[in-house]
Parts: sequence; structure tokens; C-alpha cells
Amino acid sequence: MFANETARYLASRLVTTVLIVFGAMLMLFALTTLVPGDPARTLLGPQATPELAQRFIAAMGLDQPVHIRLWRFFSALATGDLGVDVVSGRPVWTMIRDVLPYTLILTFASLAVAVAAGVPLGIYAATHRGSWMDSGLAFISVAFIAMPSFVVAIFLLLIFAIWLDWLPVLGASRSGEFWDEFKRMILPTAAIAIGWAGYFARLMRSSMLEVMGEPYIRTARAYGIAERLVTYKYALKNACIPAIALLGFGIGRVLGNAVFIEVVFARPGIGRLIYEGISTRNYPVVQGAVLVMVVLVVLVNLAVDLSYSAIDPRIRRDGAAR
Amino acid sequence: MAAPMVSIQDLVVDASTSRGTAHLLRGVSLDIGRGRILGVVGESGSGKSTLASAMLRLLPPNISRLSGQIRLDGLDLVALAPAEMEAIRGRRVAMIFQDPMTALNPLFTVGLQLIDVLRRREPGLRRADELKQAEAMLATVGIPDPRLRLAAYPHQLSGGMRQRVMIAMALMAQPDLLLADEPTTALDATVEAQIVELFDELRQRFSGSIVFISHHLGLVAELCDDLCVMYGGVIVESGPVTEVLARPRHPYTRALLDCEIDDDASGRLASIPGDVPDPLTVLTGCVFAPRCPHAAPRCLQGQPPLMELEPGRRAACIRADEVLP
Repeated sequence: MFANETARYLASRLVTTVLIVFGAMLMLFALTTLVPGDPARTLLGPQATPELAQRFIAAMGLDQPVHIRLWRFFSALATGDLGVDVVSGRPVWTMIRDVLPYTLILTFASLAVAVAAGVPLGIYAATHRGSWMDSGLAFISVAFIAMPSFVVAIFLLLIFAIWLDWLPVLGASRSGEFWDEFKRMILPTAAIAIGWAGYFARLMRSSMLEVMGEPYIRTARAYGIAERLVTYKYALKNACIPAIALLGFGIGRVLGNAVFIEVVFARPGIGRLIYEGISTRNYPVVQGAVLVMVVLVVLVNLAVDLSYSAIDPRIRRDGAAR
Repeated sequence: MAAPMVSIQDLVVDASTSRGTAHLLRGVSLDIGRGRILGVVGESGSGKSTLASAMLRLLPPNISRLSGQIRLDGLDLVALAPAEMEAIRGRRVAMIFQDPMTALNPLFTVGLQLIDVLRRREPGLRRADELKQAEAMLATVGIPDPRLRLAAYPHQLSGGMRQRVMIAMALMAQPDLLLADEPTTALDATVEAQIVELFDELRQRFSGSIVFISHHLGLVAELCDDLCVMYGGVIVESGPVTEVLARPRHPYTRALLDCEIDDDASGRLASIPGDVPDPLTVLTGCVFAPRCPHAAPRCLQGQPPLMELEPGRRAACIRADEVLP
């Protein structure tokens, strides 16, 4: 009974996923035709002869009519070919593969830290509502949420890397040695995690307070279930659902905004790859990297939706997210 | 006569609201006999749910005053520390709520919720024994395929089935006192009849006392031994259910009965003229005087106490002997 429902649910989610990725690909293709700025001129500089520019345009396939380019674009993607960097000639996929782990680790590490700090703080604030800790946490959370992560990043750098000189300033580890890279990860991770920890704390607090007012919590108390069990078993599971939604949203946002942190800390990453691709009109790089990003975000959201249905049995029956 | 299971003395509950202090219970005194079913009736806002919540000490957070005594077998629940009260809940007192749709946790199976209650009474049972007991209890309350239902989530059950689960949960606790706060109000008429039937069956095998709160006089007449009529945070009349309904001694009870009778005759809802008393006002006269057809000047001189008019019959009306002999 359940297996069938789950299968149908998965199938419908998969169809949406494919549609979103397809839409993203179309928009990426439109980028090359609609965005102003001549890639040949940007890359080759004003001194380029018209012949050279012409050759370059032909090499990129930009002289072909739209439908031919569309066909080439999709047929190449279908075989997993993301094209080559128009400057260096390196395959785009290799370039992405080299920097993607940095962005992924940064994203997951910072959100893991944010959840690990924000969720317990939010539960504490909800269960000690009105205490000075609750008010203090509210103030700090809102302050952290309001500060852009790159501002936090600059302050962290100033304090911990320059004044105190406890941690390395910039970059990723060249040696690839674990402790070196770990130390270099601390500040970028903290810069992202601080604001998100504030989000999670605020969300968990309001979500816990709402759930604690539900009739089923009253039932649990009416039957003398220990308050600890009421909070951490009966209430927490219900209160987690919005936090999981925020996590899904957060992963997308942090991936998309990774560029700020990667630029401030001079770290490699997919955000920086896209940023540099855009500034040089290096379309294959931009297209490939954005596509990989879109697929990642969509997959993360799929995983989030699946974890909802693992937690909330009502979603399994309805077949769609509520 | 044996000492009552529950003896409530001068119970006062106030709540602070944005408009001022609300007087939810204005000095309620009441005995509940051992093994008896007490029906509590009254309009919404009469304080019947507050009375049940007070007996469990599960009042909303805006309560500013709780005074008086609630003696359960001699133990005063009002004076207990929170931890001591927690030990009473789910073991000596259990409650069935009005809306079975929201009273069960949507994310946990029926079996798990039942077993958590069972563990309060019998900790350290083997898993298989816990499941067996939960299954047997579901069978007791008339749930078909009880073994399968243990693994069901609340949303997979109908309203009637969920209320049966709530009743099973209450019985699991084997309480001395079972509070049922309008347990059939949220259900369809046919399902309501089935649940009432279930209560009727259970009273045979259940040894504790039951408080059955309802706004439905007919239902109370069918099910209960004793009746207590509430109005504006006050008990206006109490006594054996058959006697009270056959010969009410308080004008409010009389008016309630007339409403029920008119319902049957014309199919239209009869109602008592006037409004229910505002809980924010301080009583200077009889709580029912503004709506009472028999109100006299001396009725405005203070709320009359609940007086024993004849053995077992009490009413809070100074004109009871004149107007409703």
C-alpha cells in the first residue's frame, strides 16, 4: 500500500525535477543570445582584428542560426558534454569538478554548524520563554540575520586572522593536508553559519512555541508524560518540519551566494567560477557551472521533500507536499 | 455513606485577560461519588471545561488565581507541587478531549501513543507485552483489526475511531477519575450514538468515577447517574439525574429543559432570552437573575449558595421552594 504511494510520489517529483532542469537549460541558452556584450570583443580585447574575431565567433558556433545552436546545445548536454572554456580550451566539466568540492564542503559545513547551534538555541528560547536568555538570543539572532555574510566575513578576518593571528587569512590549502584545510575552513564557515544559525534559532523558537500550544501536546501532558519527553519527542518532531524546509531553502541560497565568501576569502569554488565566467563573457563556463548548480539545488530540494514524507505520514498519503 | 471519590470545595478560577480579570469559576463545590457517572451540563462559557481542566491542573497560562480544594480520595490536588501533580495525571486522573482530530499527535502511531501511557502505569514491560496490552485495549473499545491499527497514524482513522483510541488511552491509564470533555460534540450524530453506546458498555467494567461534560441534556440523561448544571461559573443545581430532569428546582435547569422539549416539538431551536453572563463582571446578585422569569428584588442581593433542599438535591435559588417546589 505504502510502497505504491511512495513510488507514485517519487515519480511525480522526478517529472517536476526534469522540467525545472529543462527550463533552466533553456534560460541558460537564451543567455548567450540575449545578453548584450560581444564575447569576442571582451575576450580578445579592442586590438583584435575582424578576421580573428570572426574565427573566434565561428569556433564558438555563434555564427549559426538560433535553431541550430539550440540543437547543438541540447545534444551536447544530453551526452554530458558541457563544452570547453573559450580561453584556455579546458573542458568545462573538468573545471567544475575541480572546484565543486570546495563549495559543497563549505555549504554543508556552514549549514551543519548553523543547525547544530541554531536548533538547540531555539528550543532553549522556546522552553524558557520570556527569560533574559530568550530576549538576549532574540536580539543576537536578529542582529546576525540582518548582517550580510560578506560583512561578517571581513570582520572575522580582521579579528581572528589579522589582529589575533590565530587562523590563516586566505585561500584553500595547497598541500591538501587535512588540518591545514580545516583551519582555513573555519572562518568562511563561520561567516556563513552565523546568520543562518540566527534564522534557525528564530524559526525553531516560534515553531516550538506553536507546537507546544497544540491540543496533542495538552493530551500528552494530561497523561502525565514527562515534560522532557513531551518537549523532545512529541513536540520536537512536529516543530522540525519548518526547520527542514528552511534547510532546503538554505542550501540553495548558500550555494548561490557562495561567490561572496569565495571572493572575500580568495577560495576556489563554483561561485567564483561563475563570477569570473560572467565578467569575461565565457559562456560555456557560465552555462556549465550554473547548470550544475541548478541540478544540485533541485536535488537538494527533492531530498528535503522526501525527508518530509519520512517524518510526516500525512504527506505520504496526500502524494504531494502540503 | 462512603466518602466521595472527589470532593471539591469553593473552587475559584480567575484568568487575566486584556479586558480585565475573568471569573471562570466563582466558587464551585461538588462531590463525585465512587463509581458514579456525573454529567456536567451548561452553555458554552459556563465553566464546565474549566472545571475539568482544573481537576487535572492543566489550566491555560493566563490563569491568575486557583483557590479552594479539589480532594481526590482525600488528597488536595490544588495544593500539590507540579511534579506531584504530574504523577497523578495519566495514573489517577485521565481525560478524553472534545476534538479527536487534534488531540492525537499526527506524527506518531496510535500504538506508540498508547504505549507511552501504559509505561506510566507499568514501566519495564517487555515490548511484546506492551503491544499485546495496547492491542487488547483497542479491541475493548471496539476497534476492528486492532493489531493493524496499532501501526496506523491518526489521520488514517475516522473521527469516531480516533475518539475510540482516546478512550482506549484513558482506560489504559486505569484512572480513579475519568474526565470526558464533550467527547461526542465533534462527531457526526450516528458516530456520536456509537460512542455513547461504548461509554454505556464501559461503565460496567470501569470501576472509577466518570465526569461527562456535555451541552446535550438528552445524552446526559441516558448515560449519567448524577447531574450538575453550571451557569456563569457557578453550579446552579445538582442531584440524581432522573430526579433533576423530572423535577428541576432551579429556574435555569427548568429553562434548559424547556429548550430541549421545544426542540422536539417544533423543530426550531428554542433559546433562553438574554445573554450568558460576562465572566468579567463581579456578581452582585444571583447569576441567573437577569434572565430569570422569577427574579424578585431579593434575588439581586447576592449569589445564593448551593443549598440542600432535600436529601441529595441541591439548588442555588432562594425562591426554589416558592417557584419550583
